[in-house]
Amino acid sequence: MSAALGQRMAASNPVRQAIATYLHIAGIETGYNYFAPNVPGSYKLVLEIHYPDGHVEYELPRVNSAAAGLRLAGLLDKIGRTPYDALREHLVKMVARSVWREHPEVKTVRAVFGSIRLPGITEFEHGKRESYEFLYAYDFSLRDGKDKSGDER
Amino acid sequence: MRKRLAEFLFPVESDSWLTILRFGLGLQVALYSLSLRNDWNYFLSGTPAGLISRDLAEALLSVESRFVPTLGWLVALGTHVGLREETGLIVAWICLLVSGCGLLLGLACRFSAILAWFLHLCATKSGGFMSYGVDNFMTIGLFYLMLSPLPDRYSLDWLLRKSQSKDPQLLGFWRRILQLHLCLIYFFSGLAKCLGRGWWDGSSVWRALIRPPFNVIDPDTLVRWKYLFPVAGIFICMLEIGYPFFIWNNKTRKTWLSCICAMHAGIGLMMGMYLFALIMIVLNVAAFGPGLVRGRAKQLFVRRHGVHPEATGAGPLG
Repeated sequence: MSAALGQRMAASNPVRQAIATYLHIAGIETGYNYFAPNVPGSYKLVLEIHYPDGHVEYELPRVNSAAAGLRLAGLLDKIGRTPYDALREHLVKMVARSVWREHPEVKTVRAVFGSIRLPGITEFEHGKRESYEFLYAYDFSLRDGKDKSGDER
Repeated sequence: MRKRLAEFLFPVESDSWLTILRFGLGLQVALYSLSLRNDWNYFLSGTPAGLISRDLAEALLSVESRFVPTLGWLVALGTHVGLREETGLIVAWICLLVSGCGLLLGLACRFSAILAWFLHLCATKSGGFMSYGVDNFMTIGLFYLMLSPLPDRYSLDWLLRKSQSKDPQLLGFWRRILQLHLCLIYFFSGLAKCLGRGWWDGSSVWRALIRPPFNVIDPDTLVRWKYLFPVAGIFICMLEIGYPFFIWNNKTRKTWLSCICAMHAGIGLMMGMYLFALIMIVLNVAAFGPGLVRGRAKQLFVRRHGVHPEATGAGPLG
């Protein structure tokens, strides 16, 4: 299949580019295995906002409608599933920055990214509820007008 | 063999299906635009004012192909005529909404279809990190719509310009392509689900319904119906994998189409995925809906006269 789609050719190959263009403009560049073979868990991003006076507030990325909320969940899924650490950090940083803009006096933000573990039916009946599992944390600080960041796992 | 293939790919067809597709996609595009009205610039800005910079998604896309349209093209064009990025994005949103309304009414059908496809594609590709299944299916639907022989006879274009009847075989060809595409989609979606244990024991249905942000129904209510989950999981697998085998047969088509539409309506209501439900219902009803009620009568007419009743102007039977 990858040969038929030109994926073994060089990225700059015109045939590969033409095939990729057609797949994108026709909406057929991805497969159709939604929620298959199994339904994956979802992800959550919590932002710890550290104020200069020492108090801490917690915020979640916000949007204005339920439809946009589905897209935000899709973004978190993509962040959670990317195998590239640098891309993950960059995406988390951009989301953190969007929240940071609403709190310009804040100097440090810690972004905690985790997965939501869903209980099975039996577990739910025994009182277990969804839990939050830590995956990554990134510290962003604003010094001299420039972002500095560091991460930990 | 060649003749049978040609007959299969180019059946004589009326434009009823195209009316459904145009109207349905017009409604979909309009609702899509309205649902994002307050977040459009936030999602698609290329400046730090946005959630995720549009530039990142566009840069990643350009590695695959530089020829896929993005909002960056429109913003660059707007900058040439002195528009700020923010204004350019708002203009794109308004044009998308207008194109959806154009499709709904059937006004400037071809232009509206091309504009809707182009702008939606730009938004989907530039907001690639935030796109999901609904965007793929909208692109598929709009792609076929803009290539199909518009306008249909229920559009304003038809009334205002006194358009001529379109080639019924060309209408049949595009409907057939949409039908075949849906068969592929459902078959592989069903096959992939069958490979997971969760769809057989019902745990995938449970997980899908309690997974944020799809957890519209309280899990305490859901758990009372736990015995239905395995049945629902197997039913969904069978419905999807059986789609290409049962949707063509006149005897099973009505049942299969009704069940598929009911499944999507259920997903829409129980998981809050209203736009996803609408696009899937529109595509299915456009592809396999027309002719369902009096399909047998049509078949007899075609056999006796060699042409479709609506193509001859004998009256709508479907």
